[in-house]
Amino acid sequence: MFFQEVTPDTSSYMIAGFAITFLVLAAYVASLYLRERNLKQDIDTLTELQKAAAAENLKTDKKRAPKKNAKK
Amino acid sequence: MATKASHPNSLSKKEAAVGGYFKAISAIVWKDLRAEFRSWELISAMLVFSLLAILIFNFALELDVKTRQSVTAGVLWATFAFAGTLGLNRSMSIEKDRGCLDGLLLAPVDRSAIYFGKFFSNLAFMLIVEAIVLPVYSVLYNTNLFHPGLIAVILLGSIGYTSVGTLLAAMSVQTRTRDVLLPILLFPVAFAVLLSAVKASGGFLNGADFAEISFPINLLIVYDIIFIAISFMLFDAVVEE
Amino acid sequence: MNNKPLALKILDLISIVLLLAATYLSIFVAPMERVMGNVQRVFYFHVGTAWVALIGFIFTAALSVIYLTTKNLKWDRIQVAAVEVSVVFFLITIILGSIWARPAWNTWWTWDPRLTTAAVVELVYIAYFMLRQGLDDPNKRANFSAIYALIGGLSAPITFFSIRLFRTIHPVVIAGTNAEAEGSFSMSGGMLQAFFFALFAFTVIFIDLFWNRIRLGEAQAKVEEMKINAAY
Repeated sequence: MFFQEVTPDTSSYMIAGFAITFLVLAAYVASLYLRERNLKQDIDTLTELQKAAAAENLKTDKKRAPKKNAKK
Repeated sequence: MATKASHPNSLSKKEAAVGGYFKAISAIVWKDLRAEFRSWELISAMLVFSLLAILIFNFALELDVKTRQSVTAGVLWATFAFAGTLGLNRSMSIEKDRGCLDGLLLAPVDRSAIYFGKFFSNLAFMLIVEAIVLPVYSVLYNTNLFHPGLIAVILLGSIGYTSVGTLLAAMSVQTRTRDVLLPILLFPVAFAVLLSAVKASGGFLNGADFAEISFPINLLIVYDIIFIAISFMLFDAVVEE
Repeated sequence: MNNKPLALKILDLISIVLLLAATYLSIFVAPMERVMGNVQRVFYFHVGTAWVALIGFIFTAALSVIYLTTKNLKWDRIQVAAVEVSVVFFLITIILGSIWARPAWNTWWTWDPRLTTAAVVELVYIAYFMLRQGLDDPNKRANFSAIYALIGGLSAPITFFSIRLFRTIHPVVIAGTNAEAEGSFSMSGGMLQAFFFALFAFTVIFIDLFWNRIRLGEAQAKVEEMKINAAY
């Protein structure tokens, strides 16, 4: 065909397109990873707090227990 | 007839329930309207806002005679939409702050009656504001806006906008970010109703033939029906504790 | 939070491999489109991401109905995951479309029905997250977001038709032809191969991210529960 245009060079747009796709996906995966890590830390501190609270309760229970015996 | 004969009470009970339903709706509407006509705080805020918006549009768009022709519908609907969120937000916040919503929820009526009550009063506020803005706009810009078709479009558009707006406002006032959330929730959902309303209003104002206007009007009717029905079904989940 | 199951780890790896393979196929294997040149190659990713995002949005609306009938918070966690991953994919779709439009239509953006609907849909689901942010009570949050996702999902087709009031220039590549469309083309063998492979790859990647996000939601729910317990 004589009217066939020359194929334009649009490679830079293509590279930009793929680069942005990878960038957005990587950013999302990073955000997933960071949020998961923070949550893990939260869970660790909270379980430790719970353990500490449980130990505290045990102590007070032990303190109370002899008192009750003494009263008797 | 046969059922009526076998269960003489069932129909009258049903009628009583239906009557109670409409009574509940009208009670809410009257409560809102009476409170509003005593204080005017909602309508006056919407009205002053609308006039200011039109003033700003006038200078932002440089509304000379030619551009006025093409953008009047857009200016009007943008104004109505923004003033509408103002009114919806305020009307629901009042319910929430004064604990009216909790009182209404204790009333022995179907909760969708509360939805319709708020819907009709919000619609009334919006229509009152529009009824004042239209003649003011006509006078300020020397254009006649009193076209029966345009008024029908404004009615249909306002119904669609407030139907979904009432539901979303009932949700947004219960959030921490309630002052800013309603327009963000409402505009993307109400995009279709605003767009078809602008298209239909513009068509009537520019004297387009009916074939061109009928499609946006049909779309408005479809939107109104779908969103009134869906809000009616979902409102229960919005107010439940 | 228990550690990642092996199946998910394997799926993570498969997703990465598939993404690289799809990239390879679209850049090096598929033949070059003669009128638009290399930029047409982003089309495979454009349709691939659009496909999974739209399925994700439809799935979201179905999850709304399931949550509102069962009131089980599990469905809410699944819904957030579906919305979030779909929003990310749809963002990629819109950006790739824009990059393709610049050389093909000579503009980054045009207010065509599909583009406008895409923008509005993306905004609906961004608003969905803003709504969630303002609510602390998990049940209320789940209720409201299910309602909003349902309304948003229903409004999307109406939005599309409302913008049909104007003409479209978006090409319909798969079914039918649009006389007014600019930049349409028919796909040859190598192109079809890359196209279907991209669809498959993005489906797998979606499932992988979706699964990861559900696990994250479960961990979030656990932390919230522990915080409430710690307060008492």
